[in-house]
Amino acid sequence: MNTSVSITINGIAYERSIPIRMLLVDFIRYEAGLTGTHVGCTFEGACGACTVHLDGDAIKSCLVLAVQCDGRWITTVEGLAEGSELHPLQIAFNEHHALQCGYCTSGLLMTGVDLIEKDSELNEEKVRHGITGNLCRCAGYSNIVDAILSVARARTHEEEV
Amino acid sequence: MKELHAGGIGARLPRKEDIPILRGEGRYFADISIAGQLHVMFLRSPHAHARILSIDVSAAEELPGVVAVITGEMIRNEMLPLPQPSVGGGLPGRKPKFWPLAVEKVKFHGEPVAAVVAETPYLAEDALEAIFVEYEPLPYVGDMEAALDPSSPRVHEDWNDNEIFKSNFRATRSADEHAAHIEEAKRRIAEAPFVVRQRFRTHRCGITALEPRGALAVWDATEGITAWMTTQRPHLQRLSLAEVLKLPQAKVRVIAPRDQGGGFGMKGSVYREPLLVAYLARHLRRPVRWLETREENLMAAGQGRDQIHDIELAADANGRLVALRDKIQTDAGDGCLGGTWGYAMPMVGGMRLPNAYILPFCDIQLRVAVTNKASLCPARGFGIFAPRFALERALDMLARKIGVEPAELLRKNFITTFPARLSTGLGYSSGDFVKTFDRLVELVDIPEFRRRQKEALSLGRYIGLGISTGVEVSGVDNLSYLTATGGPSYATVDLRVDSEGHVTVAYGDGPTGQGSQTTIAQVVAEELGIDPQNVTVLSGDTLTTTYSPGTVSGRGASMVLPAVALACRDLKKKIVRVVANDASMVAGDEEFSFADGYITYCGNSNLRRSFAELAHRIVIGAVDLPPGDTGGLEQRAVFEATRGNVCFSAHAAFVEVSPETGRVKITRYVTSDDAGVVINPLIVEGQIQGGVIQGISNFFFEEYVYNDEGQQMTSTLESYKIAKASDVPRIEIYHDAGTPNPTNPLGTRGIGEGCIAPVPGALGNAISDALRPLGIEITDLPVRPGPLFHRMDVALRDDQQA
Amino acid sequence: MYPSPIEGYVAPTTVDEAVAAFARWGEETHYIAGGQSLMQAIKSRMVRPKCLVDLQKIDVIQGIHQEPASIRIGAMTRYCDIADSELLEGPFAALVDGAGHVGDRQVRHRGTIGGSLCWNYISACMPAVNLAIGSQLTLASLSGQTRAIDIEDFLGAPLETSRQEGELLLSVELPQIVGRAGSAYRKWSLMTDGLPVIGVGAFLQLDDVGSCSSARISVTGLESGPIRVLTAERALIGVSHSNTKGIEEALNDSSTSLDTHSDEEADAEYRRVLFRHLGRDVVTRAFMRALGNRE
Ligand SMILES: Cc1cc2nc3c(=O)[nH]c(=O)nc-3n(C[C@H](O)[C@@H](O)[C@@H](O)COP(=O)(O)OP(=O)(O)OC[C@H]3O[C@@H](n4cnc5c(N)ncnc54)[C@H](O)[C@@H]3O)c2cc1C
Ligand code: FES
Ligand code: FES
Repeated sequence: MNTSVSITINGIAYERSIPIRMLLVDFIRYEAGLTGTHVGCTFEGACGACTVHLDGDAIKSCLVLAVQCDGRWITTVEGLAEGSELHPLQIAFNEHHALQCGYCTSGLLMTGVDLIEKDSELNEEKVRHGITGNLCRCAGYSNIVDAILSVARARTHEEEV
Repeated sequence: MKELHAGGIGARLPRKEDIPILRGEGRYFADISIAGQLHVMFLRSPHAHARILSIDVSAAEELPGVVAVITGEMIRNEMLPLPQPSVGGGLPGRKPKFWPLAVEKVKFHGEPVAAVVAETPYLAEDALEAIFVEYEPLPYVGDMEAALDPSSPRVHEDWNDNEIFKSNFRATRSADEHAAHIEEAKRRIAEAPFVVRQRFRTHRCGITALEPRGALAVWDATEGITAWMTTQRPHLQRLSLAEVLKLPQAKVRVIAPRDQGGGFGMKGSVYREPLLVAYLARHLRRPVRWLETREENLMAAGQGRDQIHDIELAADANGRLVALRDKIQTDAGDGCLGGTWGYAMPMVGGMRLPNAYILPFCDIQLRVAVTNKASLCPARGFGIFAPRFALERALDMLARKIGVEPAELLRKNFITTFPARLSTGLGYSSGDFVKTFDRLVELVDIPEFRRRQKEALSLGRYIGLGISTGVEVSGVDNLSYLTATGGPSYATVDLRVDSEGHVTVAYGDGPTGQGSQTTIAQVVAEELGIDPQNVTVLSGDTLTTTYSPGTVSGRGASMVLPAVALACRDLKKKIVRVVANDASMVAGDEEFSFADGYITYCGNSNLRRSFAELAHRIVIGAVDLPPGDTGGLEQRAVFEATRGNVCFSAHAAFVEVSPETGRVKITRYVTSDDAGVVINPLIVEGQIQGGVIQGISNFFFEEYVYNDEGQQMTSTLESYKIAKASDVPRIEIYHDAGTPNPTNPLGTRGIGEGCIAPVPGALGNAISDALRPLGIEITDLPVRPGPLFHRMDVALRDDQQA
Repeated sequence: MYPSPIEGYVAPTTVDEAVAAFARWGEETHYIAGGQSLMQAIKSRMVRPKCLVDLQKIDVIQGIHQEPASIRIGAMTRYCDIADSELLEGPFAALVDGAGHVGDRQVRHRGTIGGSLCWNYISACMPAVNLAIGSQLTLASLSGQTRAIDIEDFLGAPLETSRQEGELLLSVELPQIVGRAGSAYRKWSLMTDGLPVIGVGAFLQLDDVGSCSSARISVTGLESGPIRVLTAERALIGVSHSNTKGIEEALNDSSTSLDTHSDEEADAEYRRVLFRHLGRDVVTRAFMRALGNRE
């Protein structure tokens, strides 16, 4: 019931022999040792703390088996910064006080980056709607929305210039 | 305005703790693993109330990877049950006896019955399915009022009824004096021209944190138990672990991880599971880890609120409140919760019922029932969510009876002289409720709203405005805290300066996202004039910190930060002595300024030395020190509040209710808070923003539902509904009409706990205001569109017929 | 929390391989598409697969295609692709309405139209949308034969369809349209984009003067599974977009016969209220879209 897989996470290929039933989130956390991706649900897949990018799309890694991602590439929160240089959204989260306990943060960053990259005309309503897959229990959302919007606006501005 | 010290008090300093978390390098409980660790999973009761006839674990034991299968019978003689002195010693009510696994019978759906220890969590779950338990179902006790009836089946068989606690809040009055007090309250109500009598009900809901619970324990023959666990109160966990495992405290070390994914009271109790994890680690001589599932969390932890209030509130012809009566009932679940036993919250809630108002005569009676539900648990607002809803709603209704704007009624009745004492005995040390409230009223422009409301109504639209307030007393004195929780409330910090001038602050609480690394650094920066980036904060480890009650009840700003300031001030004295001694002069501390990394003599700015250089001078170059001083630069300080920290919040909610669907939309929400001296506005505003949204989520969406058989129907995040970004508004927050807190050296007030409490009143009042033309009053929570629609529909039909 | 042990996992690239794999593994084999329902069931151990046949690599059942006579949507087409599709902006915009609000962004990146139809969850959106539109489904059997079936004959009670053991849903064909047509779908849930308490779909075809010549109205969230509301459909014939009273009456009258249930989220009567409320909205929007009015 074991199978071997090669999954590329943040540019590194992880080749492992794993049980078929292993969840992608457990592969990321325990096989690759990348613990920035969190778990908040039993089976319902409703909190978004486990959000990562699979081939460039934000998805919930608790609702995918690792074996399904054989040969595919994953980006986790650890892959956002380039070396010591943080992703603009990471900086914006800090500046806007968009995290308190931070447990939701990696998921929200991944959803936020997905939104910013795919929609060049974001507004508050779109952002709020865009992050409904991510629960935040502490921060009350507004600062998160502001952080995402600030990066989106900076991008649009850059493109215009 | 005072000039801001770079990164010091008052600066909107982005938080220090964010960067690792943002990089995915947070250190949460689940991120900690120990080589060779085993995994435990719990089999939980499918019944609300049943006798355990037999448990067959033999098949489970045979499965691959299974190391042990444990039941209540196997541990009842191996470890002591709760209660133990550390958890609940001071509390005045009953404390049911319980072990981590059910013994003889189960008392709620979700109670742990057996535990599997296996090589992986996957294998542990496999084995859970192979445990066979035979139950004999017993009658479900699920209604608090019925439970208090003498004819009810009993939840705890060694008790003669289901009443775990009752109180009449007579404070220091003798029985006779109190009887007279009640008579006076009754008489005043009987004679009052304006009286509201109403039942209010708040549902079972709470603040489940996004990170579930967990525990990981390691046994070592010389060091004893080391246990990492999600907790706001590591020192309390340590005491209780030592007690149930019959170990000296010195052989128990508890560590709350550096990062914790929210607590809100849910992580403040002594729970069954970590006790068992520690026992298993010792029993099996292997590291054992338990990672809670969301289902377990929603079934067994974090259920709060759940009260009924039967209120009578009266005012005289001038709109002054004359008396209050309230019969409070609370559903404590099974009450098996170390620390609060399901009733410390309603007890505190009853004591605080009179809120911000002059109410010299109160007849408040509380009865707390045990039922076959998970124990009631602390949830942000500790017991005051329900009382605030009931009283603020009653005040709103009373204002309508009198025919005045509710804001006017509130304003007329605020406590204005401090210190003040409520009829329940609770003291308020300071504040200026009127000032903070007036700021809110100024922000919302009531006359303008009334004009718009009239106009809207003529178009068939229902809009409303609701105002409510909340006083929070947290960061209280030792005696009050001891009574409510069984432990003292003082805060201790240890401050250490290294030879490069970096400061480390260690304290024994278990923060869960409050930003304390940043606020503590800001206080140090302010006091010692150094860069807050040069301050490191350590918390949560009972080995390296001294006893501390925990990250609870707004203690961070009101107790811990003052202790930090005191430690810095003592440290400065030593530094000044050294500077003066080195310069062969005599000078007091006030003659030196600490700023920008330098210590400067005010009389001559040429006498100026860098903080880092002095640190090296005292820590390493520790010769020729002033007589009596020794080498090293460290300081412990304890802050003990003599009087409670008070903060005050006033909220205004604007809503529109759709007559087509009964859905309520919050169109605007404004708060004015007295947060005292604000160390970091970003963080204070974040606490309020988050707290209010939690209140909104509780009010409309969240509810722990038990069906008629006592099955908990809301054990997923799909069924237990937490507000998402598009379900809630942006909160407008003002804290510019606050007052410095005289009870501590910084003037801070702990805002985090209380900011949620005015929410249900504000929303309930706003919806009732919108629907007043239809005669609808909000008395029961949660407010859901369906039932509201039906009430509106009936009223609209009656209208048409009339 | 964790799936029960799984013995086999296959990710074929063709339909033939997929059905062959299914046949080979036999009982307790499951196709897995986006996994947004199946994984919940597997993690809660309601479903204990022996083998999973993953459909993600089968190209021919992906994507939205304009065929000579109609539009074909591959069963493995994801919600996000439907929600963004320009091909579907016309008469079939109900699909966009539905897909754009299923769950959340992450779910829409994985979940597929085929998976939703085959799962037929009690309050799912795609079954109702396709019921309103009148889609045709094509399935491949274990023996490799294909058959076409009307959506109405496919959907059964919640979690039930007429899909045979091992049958693979290949695609969803949208009907050919003559004249003007428009559709809309809207759901109601306590939380934004949550699983709906009730959802209503409308598909209208208009005659030369812009009156409704045929209507299909569907509802999801009923214990019976998704259904068409025939009384409303009949009552709407001949009604024009400006006849708000006519629209309202059609929905009000039909709502009284709607067999709704009560649960924690809504009582039976409120479900009927929501049907009327959503129905008015989707019918009006379907009219507007058919008439070419921008919203
Ligand atoms: C958080 C969350 C929120 C959600 N909210 C909504 C919502 O608002 N509205 C809504 O409608 N749904 C909602 N859903 C459910 C979701 O839409 C799924 O039902 C849907 O995505 C299923 O498609 P899938 O591709 O993921 O199928 P899977 O889960 O992979 O499969 C579902 C079933 O269909 C079978 N199957 C799949 N494809 C085929 C095929 N081509 N041929 C034969 N059998 C097949 C599988 O064997 C399985 O039995 C939500 C889900 C989540 C996790
Ligand atoms: S853990 Fe994946 S959505 Fe909650
Ligand atoms: S910051 Fe705690 S859950 Fe979002």
